[in-house]
Amino acid sequence: MVFYVGKVTAATNSAITRAKTAERPRLNNSQDRTQMIEQLEAIRERALAELADGADDRQIEAVRVRVLGRAGELTDIMRRMRDVPHAERPLIGQTVNRIKTELEARIEEMSARIREANLERSLAESRLDVTIPGARIPRGRLHPITQTIERMLEIFTAMGFEVAATRDVEDDFHNFAALNFPPDHPARDMQDTFFLGGGLLLRTHTSNGQIRVMEQREPPLAVVCPGNCFRRDELSVRASPMFTQIEGFMVDKIGRVTMAHLKGVLSEFARALFGPSTAVRFRASFFPFTEPSAEVDISCLLCGGRGCRVCKQSGWTEILGSGMIHPNVLRAVGYDPAEYQGFAFGLGVERTALLRLGVDDMRLFFENDLRFLGQFQASSERFA
Amino acid sequence: MKLPLGWIREFVSLDADIDEICARLTLAGIEVENIERVKPAFDGVVVAHVTAVERHPNADRLSLCQVDAGPAGQFSVVCGAPNVRAGITAAYARVGARLTAGVHGQGGTAAIEQAPPLTAAVIRGIKSDGMLCSERELGLSDEHKGILELDGGTLGADLAATLGLDDTVLDIAITPNRGDCLSVIGVARELSALFDVRLNEPRIASAGLRGGAAVAGLPIEISIDAPDLCPRYAALAMAGVKIGPSPIILRRRLELAGMRPISNVVDATNYVMLELGQPLHAFDHDKIGGGRIIVRRAGSDRTMVTLDGVTRELTPDDLVIADANGPVAIAGVMGGQGSEVSESTSSILLESAYFEPMTVARTARRLGLRSEAGYRFERGIDRAGQVRALNRIAKIITEFAGGRAAGPIIDVEARPAEKRMITLDLAAMTSLLGVEIAPLEVRRRLRALGAETSSGGRGRLIVTAPTFRPDLNEPADLAEEVARLKGLAEVPAELPMRPAAGPLKPDPSRQFARATRELMLGSGLTEIKTLAFIAPAENERYAGIAAGDPARVSNPLSAELSEMRCSLIPGLLGALRFNLNREATAFHAFEIGRAYVSREGIVVEGERLAAVSYGDYVLGGIGRPSLAADFGTAKGIIENYFASLGGKPAAEYEAADPAAVPYLHPSRSARIMIGGATGGYVGELHPREAARLELDRSCNLFELDLTMLLAYGPTLPGPIELPSRFPAVRRDVALLVDSALPAAMLVGSIKEDAPLLLESVRVFDVYEGESLPAGKKSVALACLYRAAERTLTDEEVNRAHAELVDKVRVRLGVELRQ
Repeated sequence: MVFYVGKVTAATNSAITRAKTAERPRLNNSQDRTQMIEQLEAIRERALAELADGADDRQIEAVRVRVLGRAGELTDIMRRMRDVPHAERPLIGQTVNRIKTELEARIEEMSARIREANLERSLAESRLDVTIPGARIPRGRLHPITQTIERMLEIFTAMGFEVAATRDVEDDFHNFAALNFPPDHPARDMQDTFFLGGGLLLRTHTSNGQIRVMEQREPPLAVVCPGNCFRRDELSVRASPMFTQIEGFMVDKIGRVTMAHLKGVLSEFARALFGPSTAVRFRASFFPFTEPSAEVDISCLLCGGRGCRVCKQSGWTEILGSGMIHPNVLRAVGYDPAEYQGFAFGLGVERTALLRLGVDDMRLFFENDLRFLGQFQASSERFA
Repeated sequence: MKLPLGWIREFVSLDADIDEICARLTLAGIEVENIERVKPAFDGVVVAHVTAVERHPNADRLSLCQVDAGPAGQFSVVCGAPNVRAGITAAYARVGARLTAGVHGQGGTAAIEQAPPLTAAVIRGIKSDGMLCSERELGLSDEHKGILELDGGTLGADLAATLGLDDTVLDIAITPNRGDCLSVIGVARELSALFDVRLNEPRIASAGLRGGAAVAGLPIEISIDAPDLCPRYAALAMAGVKIGPSPIILRRRLELAGMRPISNVVDATNYVMLELGQPLHAFDHDKIGGGRIIVRRAGSDRTMVTLDGVTRELTPDDLVIADANGPVAIAGVMGGQGSEVSESTSSILLESAYFEPMTVARTARRLGLRSEAGYRFERGIDRAGQVRALNRIAKIITEFAGGRAAGPIIDVEARPAEKRMITLDLAAMTSLLGVEIAPLEVRRRLRALGAETSSGGRGRLIVTAPTFRPDLNEPADLAEEVARLKGLAEVPAELPMRPAAGPLKPDPSRQFARATRELMLGSGLTEIKTLAFIAPAENERYAGIAAGDPARVSNPLSAELSEMRCSLIPGLLGALRFNLNREATAFHAFEIGRAYVSREGIVVEGERLAAVSYGDYVLGGIGRPSLAADFGTAKGIIENYFASLGGKPAAEYEAADPAAVPYLHPSRSARIMIGGATGGYVGELHPREAARLELDRSCNLFELDLTMLLAYGPTLPGPIELPSRFPAVRRDVALLVDSALPAAMLVGSIKEDAPLLLESVRVFDVYEGESLPAGKKSVALACLYRAAERTLTDEEVNRAHAELVDKVRVRLGVELRQ
């Protein structure tokens, strides 16, 4: 026979005391079996009545101690079994066990219910204002120029171009002479140069990348060179003394890289960057290092080509300069123009970024106002 | 460059509308940047003849004029102008005419529709049917001393049409290779080639007197002493010139082209320059000393006063025009004051020369003298256009300034022009453009530009470039001409085969930069970009990582931007200050960019990663305070960064030498060592600097040499270590050491001679306080023991730990903390 042995706490102690003083049914030898059974039924009914729904944990504990406890009513009856005739004992014992099992189950059910209710209550009490921000290190944001460069390089590398880094500080040969800018030629006025003394200057374009790479390698080549460029313009809405360009070029045997390929690559690039419905046009122009030369315009992103203030009513926006590499440039790096030809292009990253962002102030990129930078996603492309 | 379309149309007849004209020009490389429609400032003004003038009966200074406006009728007009007289042709505003400038030119309305119509007025008792107008009243100039006098015109004709006031001005951007298009005739030629219509070359009669007729008595002798700089010099003397204003139509055209009218002679030189592209200069013939013009290098002549009154320094190689006494003009740049045409000039010498572009460009740039003439010489004018321009101006001066040729045109050609013959291989052109163009079309297009073509046999053309196109020298130049005239839209767009250059090479520097940025973003730093130009004071304060001197810009935008940055830190601090000034309270940012130092005349540029971390770093959120950036959080970012590199290279840290980084807190700054070299610094900004920048919280910085890191190559995954499946046992030990002993040294010393079973050791607490002896600190270490293939017993661990503690006590002479 197993009795429930509860942990004795202050609450159960007092319940025991109360149980001891309560009226206890008595059995004596002369009482018959029926009387004992009735007594048991009475204990059961009273206990179940007290264990009705809504009983609190103190009431439940009191019932447990009074009925099932070490000095409880059922224990008492079991103790008095020795007074019961042998033949009657199994019936009484079974009845005691049945009632005990039933009451234990009921007590467990009630306790579980109360535990659940208590948990619910404590959960409700520990409620947080979930609208308050969490603890965190706010993630940094990627500069829009970097995002634009990365997006452009992605497009070019997908088309088979390698990426090469080249230097900012250059000599006259690599920035001008090898690119077919004669000394004192007015074409140099297009690019007001910063000089560092000792024959050094800050590159005015990334076109030095063409020379640097071609000097060291042989065709076929397909390379893009991103980098800083410098021209003597005050930082203003329209210009910056330092800005970013991406130079690209492709050189191969004559006929393998034509002006048609230049158009193909740059049209593809423009559509990948600005969207598949972008119209692209090539406009004749002049650069000392290309012949023929062409500016590439795209349909104005703001008005879609209908004409607006931004595109000066033309419907077009210039995005880059390009052309077939001038024979003199090939000669300068020791390539034979009778054997090789190629195309080259250069595009301004800031200008393109402004176009894509739909804003019109170059200073935004160099002031680093968090209210501006904070609007960009942390790493992925905003307009991919 | 601005050119009125009406002027261009004199040389080419076009049906196309203005938008079509501009679009075709722009696509062909002659970019029309702006179109300005100019309208007269009046309406209802006609050309009229003043047939009779008498004094107004009631006013001394007024006249009563009879005006014949042809078909429009005869009118009687009261006029107050002093120059009104019978026989002149004038601008007559009829009753109902509108003048935006108002009567006397003092009204002023924005649009012609708003101007009140002129009414018949009674002036001092006499009725006046309209008025004769001054230039100011017509909105043509500020001239209001008298009425406008016209040089003929059809009576009754609309004045606006007669003067060409209703016009469209094209603002054209001419690329430096197209000097020929810096003229009306040049743009007209482009249009004729683009629209396939005839170019009406101006027929210009020969002006100079034939033979050596010196009857006019203005002999001049010309010699060229510097044929390398001036191959050709032509001049014409004219006598009987009367200096005065130019006729309105000429002035108007100059103004529309953006030039200021000055006097009839000077205006004529500018007019012909705009029309034909040949710059001209007029000398006062009487002031040419010795009747001689010598084109020579300045040599020992060191200065001359130009016509703006400034004394100019000359270098010996500057090309000058000299007379017997010395320089009278700087060739192609500016005339001299001494030989300037003035109001009293009556005989002139007109110069029309070809100066080599480089000499003009060099001198003009050095003197900072940019002029319309110099602009054209620099870009290369027509090598053979000198005499034609003299003939043209002679006609204009004869017509408008009363002059006559006073001798033959003197044309000295010291160096004959070379014919530029280019062999154009049509197959090669197809290879270049990627599209085949029929030989006939190629010839037609090149001829339209003024080139001569002949067959060179076997798919070749022999092309003679026109004298006014110095930019055409190679087959590629001709291919461009054909392609742009045909239209680049006709070249198909095709994708090339990728060159057979083998597999694409990975670009380690870009991948490295990407991974670096990614980690910085995750560490809470926002990427910024700052200018590489910096004030010298900033380079003095923040010397950066690499040794060397700052690279100085010879021609900076300002003193504040006169050096190249040695470090990215000043830019970051500038951005911090910028944001704090705009109510930001925290700023965590990084920049990847280049720093520059000069060493023995070479400027070394290196990639840097630098960051600034200021203010709340970990935001506390609910019920927890925020954690502000400090040395530890900044160093933590770097540790994470090196962890992300996979330990290659590994970084070590030691207290920084304050002399090397005076901008950092002397006891809260570390040198980051990579392979024994200085790879960067991390630390708190020195409180002095923080005070200077008015920062009230701890400002933490780091800078790393990425070029150095990149040299270690890409991080490859190492061999994989399998984790042990058996439990570890931890034993802690607290050591009492000198306060100055770096904890890293303690750990390093333990690791150097560690028991076999030691898996790891780390510092988990450092304590300094009253319970410890002065100058001592307690460093608590957590030691983790583990075997790969079995569970350790307590005894084994105890033995290993005791050995470790003994060794470190002996080696470093430290005590166990009791």
